[in-house]
Amino acid sequence: MSKRTFNTLYIVIGIIPFLMLIFPGFELGNRATPIIMGLPFSFFWVLLWIVITFIALITLYRLDPEKDEEEDV
Amino acid sequence: MPGWQIALIMMIAYLVIALIVGIMAGRGRDGSSLDEFAVADGKLSLFVMWFLMGGSVFSAFSFLGAPGWAYSKGAPALYIIAYTAFAILPWYIIGPKIRKIGKRFRFFTISAFLKGRYKSPLLAIIVGLIALFASVQYLATQMSGMAIIFDIMTEGRIPFWLGALISYGIVVVYVATGGLRAAAWSDVFQGLLMIIVSWAVGLAIVYQLHGGTTEMFANIARETPEFLQIGKEGSNMGKVAYTTTILVSCIGFLMWPHLFSKSYASNPKTIKKTVLAYPVFALFLVPLLLVGFASIGVVDSGQLTNVDQVLPFLITTVMNLPGWLYGLVGAGALAASMSTADAITHSASLEFTDGVIKNIWKNLSDKTTLFIMRAGVFVIGALAYYITVFGGQGLVALLLGAYGSIVQFAPGVYSALYWRRATAPGVVTGLAVGTYVNYYYQLVAESTPFGIHAGIMGLMANIVFMVTVSLITKPQAKHDVEKYVDAA
Repeated sequence: MSKRTFNTLYIVIGIIPFLMLIFPGFELGNRATPIIMGLPFSFFWVLLWIVITFIALITLYRLDPEKDEEEDV
Repeated sequence: MPGWQIALIMMIAYLVIALIVGIMAGRGRDGSSLDEFAVADGKLSLFVMWFLMGGSVFSAFSFLGAPGWAYSKGAPALYIIAYTAFAILPWYIIGPKIRKIGKRFRFFTISAFLKGRYKSPLLAIIVGLIALFASVQYLATQMSGMAIIFDIMTEGRIPFWLGALISYGIVVVYVATGGLRAAAWSDVFQGLLMIIVSWAVGLAIVYQLHGGTTEMFANIARETPEFLQIGKEGSNMGKVAYTTTILVSCIGFLMWPHLFSKSYASNPKTIKKTVLAYPVFALFLVPLLLVGFASIGVVDSGQLTNVDQVLPFLITTVMNLPGWLYGLVGAGALAASMSTADAITHSASLEFTDGVIKNIWKNLSDKTTLFIMRAGVFVIGALAYYITVFGGQGLVALLLGAYGSIVQFAPGVYSALYWRRATAPGVVTGLAVGTYVNYYYQLVAESTPFGIHAGIMGLMANIVFMVTVSLITKPQAKHDVEKYVDAA
């Protein structure tokens, strides 16, 4: 994968979950109930997307063409 | 022994350890090296870097302001978690690029970075001044946090001025001695402490008061469901205000000089891994929000002079918990404030030296520069102390206020990295207009259109002016542009 493709992919994968946490995307999670894992739905929704992003980015990191770059200057 | 005495002893013990860690960190390093003082020679490891970035965001605001928001506003407090998790993500792409440019030209600050591309001493001076003022304001919030903690935990026996003086005095000493490395290692110690404290104490409080989070939230959801939502009838924040607050916090985050300049302090691989590990820090904030929700119906808001006091008030007055728990929370909150204050004091001094002093008196030697940066730590410390003691405000309002002007750096920084046609007059005009608009909506106007955050209003004006003026002024020399935009 080229660096350019990787960067585009990274940006897309970072932005989609972010849109779920701001309006209008947050409309989907903006409810008090049901209470899931001891948290109101709105609270759970925010944590859910953070965890999804976390997992997605760690997976993506393995594809980074420059991930092992130490220093080149 | 009464609870406050145990608390006081524990907090003093914490302060002594923090001082020792800070001073020890700088030992064995070259004390006369400018690079070591400013960016730890560019060699911080992942472990230290993660705590340094995390500790900087985990501030008095998180420890006192977050429970305060959850208690008084409800769901809008979720913005804190949302922005903490996402604001760091752009660093994965821009951090390594800034690092390469910075290493090549030996930059330590955001003002030097902008000056290098736009060749404008005026721009560097403006950025240096904004950075200084915003940092002093930010420091004032940290310091009032420290003082509030001392005050409440010792039941009013340590006056406000003394609490702020002792805890911040220690920060000033270790930052002036050991520079960035001292701040970084202190943050490791302080970070561990505040994480442990927030989880242990946070969950203990929720279970003792309500028997668990499900019961607690079920009660709130039954009585006032709109409290757990945003933008509903009876909610405490509108949709536009919520969204733009998250946006401004996310865009502004990396523009904070103390975070921006960490790009110079580590190699690209460490930067990337720090970004990946960072969302974990957002999850550490969860118990602090839970404490705020747990205080609903337990703490009578009439008894608080400020909602930021809800966590310490709950522990000392309402629940009558044992003294060692006071001490633990006190130490955790001090750690949160100090780990933010050290990085900010350090960077404010660097920015002011690089942005303002070096553009007025050119050709300063490394030795003189280092001396000014060290002395600057004391001057900035004194300034922030003065403002804290003689002019207190609510923590949250103050932090968001400072954020407003810092976010105005973003168009100039991103253009420096990616937009060839940006010019110095364009960036300077945009920054000036953006800062003005932000101040107008924040301090003069009664409200903003649709409830849009003042910083976003400023940002829109900033971008329009930056682009227009850039396009009608002469393009930059190709050579200067390529050194930035094409840095691989």
